[in-house]
Amino acid sequence: MCHKYPGLGRIESNKADNTNEIKRVFYINSELYSKTYHGAIRCRSCHTAVTKIPHNGAKEVDCSTNCHIIDPSSNKQFSHKKIVTDFNASVHGKNGSDTFYQEDLPICKDCHSNKAYHAEYEKHQEGMTFLKVCEECHQSGDFTKRYYEHISYRTSKRRSSKEVVKLCSTCHNDKTLMDRHELDVVAGFSNTFHAKALFYGNTQVPNCLNCHAPYTLGFSPHRITSKKNSDSPTNPENKHLTCSQSGCHVNAEKSFASGGYVHPSPEKIESSRVFGSQKITRQQNIIIDWIQTFYKILIALVIGGLAFHRILDFHATQRENNKGRHSE
Amino acid sequence: MTSEQKAERKFLRMTKSQRIQHVILFVSTTMLVITGFMLQADNWLSEFFGSYGETVFTIRSWLHRISGVTIILLCTYHLIYVLTTEEGKSWAKDMLPRPRDAVEAYQNVMFMIGFREDKPKLDRFMYLEKLEYWSVYFGMTIVIISGIMMWTEYLWPRFFLEVAGVFHLGEAVLAALAIIVGHISSVHYNPHVYPMNRTFIDGMISEELVKEEHELWYERELKTLDKNNSGSDGNEKT
Repeated sequence: MCHKYPGLGRIESNKADNTNEIKRVFYINSELYSKTYHGAIRCRSCHTAVTKIPHNGAKEVDCSTNCHIIDPSSNKQFSHKKIVTDFNASVHGKNGSDTFYQEDLPICKDCHSNKAYHAEYEKHQEGMTFLKVCEECHQSGDFTKRYYEHISYRTSKRRSSKEVVKLCSTCHNDKTLMDRHELDVVAGFSNTFHAKALFYGNTQVPNCLNCHAPYTLGFSPHRITSKKNSDSPTNPENKHLTCSQSGCHVNAEKSFASGGYVHPSPEKIESSRVFGSQKITRQQNIIIDWIQTFYKILIALVIGGLAFHRILDFHATQRENNKGRHSE
Repeated sequence: MTSEQKAERKFLRMTKSQRIQHVILFVSTTMLVITGFMLQADNWLSEFFGSYGETVFTIRSWLHRISGVTIILLCTYHLIYVLTTEEGKSWAKDMLPRPRDAVEAYQNVMFMIGFREDKPKLDRFMYLEKLEYWSVYFGMTIVIISGIMMWTEYLWPRFFLEVAGVFHLGEAVLAALAIIVGHISSVHYNPHVYPMNRTFIDGMISEELVKEEHELWYERELKTLDKNNSGSDGNEKT
């Protein structure tokens, strides 16, 4: 009613810092909204507490609310309740996490936005006569369109590996945040072969989710567990199974996946040099340091020597040429 | 340097087999260096390829493996070649390091600096060429072993793979730089041969250059030439 007017907004004072003000826009473009995943759901299905104007006492949206649409698979009201329960029990959720800083835990919106279906799906529909067949019975053109978009969207890869890495890194590469939770930042990932291939756009290599929440092993991004959990795909006991899933390191033995962090941050490596740890021992670091030092010295000597020799040769040739010229 | 009045004689420096081995080594090493360092380059390179990235990466991976296998086969062939064929045996014999090489190196450096009047008479292979040749044995052993380890990654504990990776990269940097600074500079930016020493194509070395750079070998070859009284047996007149 009101939200269709583009100018609708409010300036709020920032609770954390009174000097800064936040501009909030309450305008909803109904045409655009109708093209989003939730486009068929009415405002108050999610904003349940909005009953009067002004919307006093409105609560934040709860994604486990029962929607006012019927799930055709069960004939019941559709809801994300199971996902929310699973998520809360996961390492990211308020029940699954043992962190003291509950406010740091991610919420649905941190990873999911109500995106518009890709414009490509609309484009594809133009030439597809089979949608006409659907419409013979399902007479609401809107239903067939949405159904087609839903299926084609869900059956294609929704986020590229690069996007997944970027999304997880928002929090997991934030040093202050990770320090507070005594976790290692994921900066070391970019040094792995997986990351190098991934940034070329290779789809054969895993992104964060393929190892931390592999669907093939019965996990999902909403059910990520700590590696301390014995069921976790990143638990040392299960790691080799994670490595050997989906035709990756198919013959991986336990030893292949054991004995080391997969992507330790440079700081972690540095600290293990000083303190040592069970995963990266000081001896291992010393061995690697020795090899690197050996090559640095060898490269400096060999390349320096060869360059010096070449310069001397230039010098000598010039001198001999000059001599020749003088004698003529 | 060359004068047209002089009757230009050329000497055979690389046989056909050696030239073919060199070209295979040259092409596959170049491939390995390019496709290998593509992994070490920062993200700007992968971003540069944009949506072709995945294809580029697949081609890169295959080229690296194909070139790697080619080099393994070449090295195996070369070992058989130097151990069994006459040509190879003579090559390896002349390549063997001798105490004399150290003396020649010292004398040559002294000459280049200007502390010595004459350039030492160098043999068929001078000390730097020997160093380059035997370094390849050292380097190949390391890159081949570490490369095969990384190819059969599932057989090894993580730490071993990490060590293999460090060796593979270290050796690759050393070899690539040595080829650029040592080898390319001596066959291209060497004042006697600039812009390019053509020996690797036709196998020939000019009388002038052989006199300049391998005088001892030149004298020995001349004797053989006189004995045979013709241009056959490894030497050619043009």
